[in-house]
Amino acid sequence: MSGFKTPYPDYHVLEKWDSPSWNDQTREAVRQRLDEVPPRRFLSEEQWSLLEAIVARLVPQPERAEPVPIVPWIDDTLHKNETPGYRYADMPPMREAWCRGLDAIAAETRNRHGKSFEQLSPEQQDALLSDVQHNRVDRQIWGDLPPGGFFLHHLLKQTVGIYYSHPDAWSEIGYGGPASPRGYARLGPDERDPWEAREVDVA
Amino acid sequence: MFQSRQPEPSHRPLVPVAIATVAAAAGIGWLLQRAWKPKGDRNHRAAQALGAGAAILCVSVALDSAIEHYRGEFKDKAMFVGPTMALLGLGAATYVAFRPERASDTLPKIALFAVGATGLAGLGFHSYNILKRPGELDALNLFYGAPMGAPAALTLAGLYGVIAGEMLSGRSYVKSRLSKHTAGLIAFSLMGTIAEAGLLHFRGSFQNPAMYLPVPIPPLAAISIGAAALSPRATAAAEPLLKATALLGIAGPMFHAYGIHRNMGGWKNWSQMILQGPPLPAPPAFLGIAAAGLGILPMLKEEQK
Repeated sequence: MSGFKTPYPDYHVLEKWDSPSWNDQTREAVRQRLDEVPPRRFLSEEQWSLLEAIVARLVPQPERAEPVPIVPWIDDTLHKNETPGYRYADMPPMREAWCRGLDAIAAETRNRHGKSFEQLSPEQQDALLSDVQHNRVDRQIWGDLPPGGFFLHHLLKQTVGIYYSHPDAWSEIGYGGPASPRGYARLGPDERDPWEAREVDVA
Repeated sequence: MFQSRQPEPSHRPLVPVAIATVAAAAGIGWLLQRAWKPKGDRNHRAAQALGAGAAILCVSVALDSAIEHYRGEFKDKAMFVGPTMALLGLGAATYVAFRPERASDTLPKIALFAVGATGLAGLGFHSYNILKRPGELDALNLFYGAPMGAPAALTLAGLYGVIAGEMLSGRSYVKSRLSKHTAGLIAFSLMGTIAEAGLLHFRGSFQNPAMYLPVPIPPLAAISIGAAALSPRATAAAEPLLKATALLGIAGPMFHAYGIHRNMGGWKNWSQMILQGPPLPAPPAFLGIAAAGLGILPMLKEEQK
């Protein structure tokens, strides 16, 4: 988890901004993602702050002066009720799953430690999230909401998905962002176009 | 509502684009014909035309292989050989086009043989490239593996140059057989180029109707010049067909330029589309072969007298 070092320290995908790689449509989509971070509209203040603490354990960004915003975009999805178009058979609809899941984590924490999730040490937070992931929880609190399912399908997938939608995360993994309009001409293994990221030896 | 958000339908501008392209190509062809002032007797003029045809083939191969081998990142050092030898061939063939009587001198002859041999070696390399891929000789590898047509064109360019020299050698077979054999070689050259264009246009699923143009015309030209080798009367049909093939060789790059324009990002995205769009320097191979064919037609015609 920690100790990750990008092999692309000199690569910044936003340098493609004015290059032939991107057109106006692409620039506008990326600009919205960077500039128009949505405000809190759906989650309660408590849920929001709890989710911030959870996300900080799922995708820690201690080295970033400006961490990639994740909670605002989850809140935005919930506010617009932009579901993926399907629902897991053993889980309630998206909005309900999130509210019940977050509240259950808050209650689980208070039940065990007598304080809020945000006040726990990182190790305690990790241990608790691990228990949620593996269904080692108080069934009375969770009811029929599957903790492991909520953790995997909602918490983790959304968090990672939103993290890797941000240009800073693209740069870190050497991803070129939208191939629009310029895609890639050299497609074989061990081939690289001049406009692709080049890793340096970080070892 | 959705109707207005549809992209420009691709068929709408095709007719004016095709007409304008063919008209422009015809204009260029007419100017080239006017500028072409070969001197001397029939053999001399045929030698010049063969030299010019070889030079055009070499331009096509030099640019095409330079672009494609750049795309392949010159992974194998041997990939520098093709474009380099094509440039050498261009030099030698241009020299032959202007001074056909010197084509049999040692230096141009060695250069032309070396260029032809390079083409054969390239054919070997490219066959190996195709056969070493999983699936070996299947359609996918013929589509996306190293092309067979390009190195073959280099061999033809070398051969044309050497034949140009022979035309003026005064040997007895020049009068009796050489022009007929050359006509056969040109028919064969055309068929090879047609196979390459047909294969790649098929790969492009003929998405623009103009992509059908090189399918019927050059084969008819090939048949007619092949027939002209056997019966001089066929030269009457061969001439317009070879001219039409030459026209395709001029119109091709313009059509391909339009194809790049139609690709994602168009010409603004040239750095990808020069590599991935339709190849700009490939079609002039038709012009080169047709020029050589038109050059020997008068010799074929003479046979009947």
